[in-house]
Amino acid sequence: MLKALDISTSALIAQRTRLNAVSGNIANMSSLTDETGKPNPYKAREVVFQTDDSLSISGAAGVKVSKIQTGDAEPLYKYQPNHPLAIKDGKHAGYVAYPNIDLTTQMVDALESTRAYEANVGVMEITKNLSRETLTILA
Amino acid sequence: MQGIFGGTPIQALEHTLTFAQRRHELLAGNLANMDTPGYRSRDLDTNEFQNALAESIDNANRPVSHSSGPYTRDDLYSGPRAATEQVVFHDGSDVSLEQQVTELAKNQHLHGLAITTMRSQFALLRAAITERA
Repeated sequence: MLKALDISTSALIAQRTRLNAVSGNIANMSSLTDETGKPNPYKAREVVFQTDDSLSISGAAGVKVSKIQTGDAEPLYKYQPNHPLAIKDGKHAGYVAYPNIDLTTQMVDALESTRAYEANVGVMEITKNLSRETLTILA
Repeated sequence: MQGIFGGTPIQALEHTLTFAQRRHELLAGNLANMDTPGYRSRDLDTNEFQNALAESIDNANRPVSHSSGPYTRDDLYSGPRAATEQVVFHDGSDVSLEQQVTELAKNQHLHGLAITTMRSQFALLRAAITERA
């Protein structure tokens, strides 16, 4: 039965990874340059989950993060010709490229993973109760 | 020991406990995969288990039987199966939080029931051994 604890733990880790990605997305909502200083607006990161059957022998499955993918949404162009990072030439001359991150989507995602985390903590509590009950047979 | 424990409900309770524990693992796995795209929930069939257990107990109680032991069916816990044939969410998964939590609670009560009954069985046994009520 203690396998159930491992399974719930895998879910906690996965959901926390997701919450980390969301935090990063929200924190970088206005990041216009990459770490080298080149103009390159931040792209939202998305965590993809995958069923993990390696955790158990009885058919129950855990979960793991299969990949963290970078969104491919077009940047958000705002017309700011006097901005130091304004694009000099081409179709978007005079525009500044901003990250295309929707705050509402990110907040909903954060809320969802928080609730999923809580649900799995609840399952862990139940698992512990079941084990404790089983031990009382000895008493 | 077969004489003491074989004829009592303890063996049946033990099967019920094992069933509840395995089912709990599957339900925990379903909740863990709540946000996994394409995941189909897994479960054990409670009714099927109870029918199989009842059948085995009946067989054990039959006076003349040439079967190998009291419990003739060894597949009391039919393997994990896809739990539902129902609405699939847009990400291809079918885990409904409310349903899974309800099943977890029901399963927890089944486990508690078996444990409590088992404890009283052992208390009776102890009373008989020590000749004290």
